[in-house]
Amino acid sequence: MHKTFIALNREFPSENFQFRRNFNEGFKLKVMNMEKPRIVEELKPFFEPKGVAIIGATDKKGKVGNVIFENFKMNKEKGIFKGNIYPVNLKLDEIEGYKVYKNVREVPEDAELAVISIPAKFVPATMKDIAEKGIKAVVIITGGFGELGEEGKKMERDILQTAKENGIRIVGPNCVGIYAPDTGVDTVFLPENKMDRPSSGNIAFVTQSGAFAAAMLDWAAMAGIGISKMVSYGNKLDVDDADLMDYFIHDEQTKVVTLYIEGVKEGRKFIEAARRITAVKPVIALKSGKTEYGAKAASSHTGALAGADTIYDAVFKQTGILRAEDFEHMFDVAKAFAKCKLPKGDRVGIITDGGGAGVMASDAVAKFGLKMAELSKETIDFLKEKFPPHAVAGNPTDVVGDTDAQRYKYAIEAFVNDPNVDAIVIITLFQVPLLDEMELIDILAEYAQKSDKPIVAVAMGGKKTEYYAKILEDKGIPVYMTPERGVRAVAGLVQYAKYLEKLGE
Amino acid sequence: MKEEALEIINGVLAKGRKSLVEYEAKQVLKAYGLPLPEEKLAKSADEAIKYAEEIGYPVVLKLMSPQILHKSDARVVALKIKDADELRKKWEEIHENARKYRPDAEILGVLVAPMLKPGREVIIGVTEDPQFGHAVMFGLGGIFVEILKDVTFRIVPIEEKDAWAMIKNIKGYPILAGARGEEPADMKALVDMILKVSKLVDDLKDYLKEMDLNPVFVYNEGEGAMIVDARIILK
Repeated sequence: MHKTFIALNREFPSENFQFRRNFNEGFKLKVMNMEKPRIVEELKPFFEPKGVAIIGATDKKGKVGNVIFENFKMNKEKGIFKGNIYPVNLKLDEIEGYKVYKNVREVPEDAELAVISIPAKFVPATMKDIAEKGIKAVVIITGGFGELGEEGKKMERDILQTAKENGIRIVGPNCVGIYAPDTGVDTVFLPENKMDRPSSGNIAFVTQSGAFAAAMLDWAAMAGIGISKMVSYGNKLDVDDADLMDYFIHDEQTKVVTLYIEGVKEGRKFIEAARRITAVKPVIALKSGKTEYGAKAASSHTGALAGADTIYDAVFKQTGILRAEDFEHMFDVAKAFAKCKLPKGDRVGIITDGGGAGVMASDAVAKFGLKMAELSKETIDFLKEKFPPHAVAGNPTDVVGDTDAQRYKYAIEAFVNDPNVDAIVIITLFQVPLLDEMELIDILAEYAQKSDKPIVAVAMGGKKTEYYAKILEDKGIPVYMTPERGVRAVAGLVQYAKYLEKLGE
Repeated sequence: MKEEALEIINGVLAKGRKSLVEYEAKQVLKAYGLPLPEEKLAKSADEAIKYAEEIGYPVVLKLMSPQILHKSDARVVALKIKDADELRKKWEEIHENARKYRPDAEILGVLVAPMLKPGREVIIGVTEDPQFGHAVMFGLGGIFVEILKDVTFRIVPIEEKDAWAMIKNIKGYPILAGARGEEPADMKALVDMILKVSKLVDDLKDYLKEMDLNPVFVYNEGEGAMIVDARIILK
């Protein structure tokens, strides 16, 4: 059995389930009753500042300080970034029509966020200026601190001390910072012509690694995955995963949180924050990084068997965080959460127009610890009545290669109404000759909207398939390239639904 | 609970030791109500015979020495002792083996224990993670832990649902649930043990580094479980 999804031996499904309803209704019931912690106010200026001071802004193309300035300027011109932009650079008077300030102390009062990209050695003094100015949110893009030995660590300590004394929160250093498509905050120093930006969506992405952040954003843009907020925190001097999880609980736009973690510094804080958020929103984590255990000589059996990986597994299981095997897995599952309702149980119904794809999906159902739904007699009778003799009424239901959209509609209708089916995987080989692609897409969109069951689609193929898959996704149905990936995404929904149900007991 | 356990731990620390011998470890476990066989520490062969008669033959002798943590390697355990004569013989034998294995071994006494009815073997352990703190491990014993490493961890404190999930998470779960026509094992007893270990660790986390309860025999449903051997390593 797949290690991430071990079926728990318990009764499932249950009908009346508050937590599931919360998810399906956009968490409003639950979150509304929660007291907003201080962190929500503290992190707000990172995502929606009235004004931003860009310390190290320059007109030299390709420089970090230039890309960041250009990002904000472009977003302001597009009307996405609504705040004011205050470049700070000792040596310049003006950049592209913007007045440049010699010191951050001189910028107007509405500056709420400072983005720093000047060399490390100037950062501790600049932090003092920022403190004097009264800015409470700082992104330090600059690298060359703790990751580079004792001198850097000392600078980090100085910076942190200034922050603590003045109630300043820091993202970074050594990071790419923030990307928030709705408010136009974009400190990602990879220029737009080299790295695409994903559109607005419901998935929050938190990452330690800046390289991973850049690669992921670029890829997400291509894959059509919508992001609510991305935070790359680098050395994690101050703001960490736990703070961000607490923030995202209350971020209405975020439906699901994805984390790329190399290491957690404060374990207890992480566990507590994770428990808080997973009670209302799903979190999917990808954990990498080697451990200090390798060198440690254990005197007990248990010590010898404990690797960091097994401990992270324990932490994730106890806190309801879903663990992803890889990058693709993380976003496959995230996409399902962003678009689907939560299933009542683990019984999967499969509809396909290709026999082989149906078998692949059935194999995946077993592999990921799910169950094949046993269709009710009503479903079978209905399909037999509507289908030509060579189509297969069963699970999988095979509408076969001469199908039209109407035959799919009968199958979907029957599966949606069948109480024995909790989640539906619809495989569409768009290539079959009689199928009107747009008609099928509209049918799928209609049922995904009105059914309370999760519906995912699998579309295998090339360019034409990709074209229709994109339309389907825009209409709110997650589409996967292979049956295995589609079923694995459903397994993520089921795993989280089970976690929530156990919480409710 | 905590006071009794701390008394034992402080006693060991006062002697400059970092690891508890089986007898001491079991005293700590006893303070938390974990299931242990009726065992006694004998200082002489005569005393051992007296205890053996109280417990009832056959018995097991285990020599307790802070310098000998791997008792089977040092051959200081004698099983299935049937009577007083055999006990005297084995008493000499394990002392001789101890001297050969570690001439400087300090001998605290010999644990006289009943021969336990064999059950399905499991291991319950504790380790400390630098980031997340103490974690409890659960797995099936023998080759399952040695070769397949079929174990699962949870961070302390552990809730009842987590304890159940631990038991059901291991690949060898069907062996406990009752494979091949066997009766199911007493999983409730295991959950109870995991929760008691979690409580113990939570109380003693400033002192504990690692712990092994290995093996633990678990019997059929309703018949409980028994800790056969135990080891505690302090910080």
